[in-house]
Amino acid sequence: MIALLRGFLWLTGFWLLGETLVVLLGLPVSAGVVGMLLMTAMLMLRVGRLEDIAAASQPLIGLLAMLIMPGVVGVFFVADDFAGQWLAVAVALVGGTLASVLTTLLLMRRFMPPEPSAAATEEASP
Amino acid sequence: MSASLIELREALLVTPLSAIALTLAAYLAALWVVERIGRPSWCPAVLLAALLVAASLWGLSIDVADYQRGSDWLMLLLGPATVALGVPLYQQLHHIRALWKPLALSLPPAAALASCYSLALAWALGASPEVLASLAPKSVTAPIALGIIDELGGSVPLLMGGLLITGVMATLAVSLLAAPLGIRDHRILGFALGINGHAIGTVRAFEMSATAGAFASLGMSLTGIFTALCLPLAWRLLGL
Repeated sequence: MIALLRGFLWLTGFWLLGETLVVLLGLPVSAGVVGMLLMTAMLMLRVGRLEDIAAASQPLIGLLAMLIMPGVVGVFFVADDFAGQWLAVAVALVGGTLASVLTTLLLMRRFMPPEPSAAATEEASP
Repeated sequence: MSASLIELREALLVTPLSAIALTLAAYLAALWVVERIGRPSWCPAVLLAALLVAASLWGLSIDVADYQRGSDWLMLLLGPATVALGVPLYQQLHHIRALWKPLALSLPPAAALASCYSLALAWALGASPEVLASLAPKSVTAPIALGIIDELGGSVPLLMGGLLITGVMATLAVSLLAAPLGIRDHRILGFALGINGHAIGTVRAFEMSATAGAFASLGMSLTGIFTALCLPLAWRLLGL
């Protein structure tokens, strides 16, 4: 429990550090992303206790879907605000996503080296 | 009697705890239902939970703005949760070291095109600048996308709806296109799911195999970082 609190303090501290940098340097990036990059960098430098930070990170990541859910609720109440644009939105989302999946698959098929044999045996049984 | 009921209603609407309780109840109920119907990929629990909340608000004639004032307390946790995404990213760095070249060649164009295709289609069909801004980060995982939308000035509800549809569509598209393209490599399928379908695609990838899941979450984080760093800058340069 104390490990979780220590981890949560690290996460909150890095968010605040991210916000500080965003405000001071006028970065066009959100504080969370800056904090995440700093967190990755800190772990690479082996500073901070990974167990503490992981203890707080895992439950938060597991709860992400619930945390964004209140934001999704709003979409059912904005139908009138975007009247006349829903066709554009639907075509953009469906067509755009199909096209980008196709592009990603083709790019990766072109550039990805063949799998090492250990992985290949795992893939053999989908 | 009715006067005191009105008073009670007012008191319950003032505290954020009502919105938090409603959110938790709807989410748990949605998880239960989704589990019962065999976790179909076209119906993520978030979508069902949001429908339940919307229906409750409508049924109790509560203003959605009142609900959101309360649920903002919950969404405050998205800040530290975004920072927390640095932990899985750190744990997958060995994949980046091993495959940096194919990644550097295919991830930036794939992540950029994921946004550009939709922007071009929406623009061609006459979408307003606000709609364009809301659709631009559609392939980015929600906590990062919410940060991007602050910079671009789009609509949060529209972005959230777009994220859901994109995730579901990307999952469908990968399963439809994999066979005709002759791709059976779970690393590639995982990447495609993570880059295009963010968290929803990543969940699907973990159902395929651990390899696909690991590459999907890597694709998701890298797309999020790439888009968060480049999109607001590109937006400024284009003068949008």
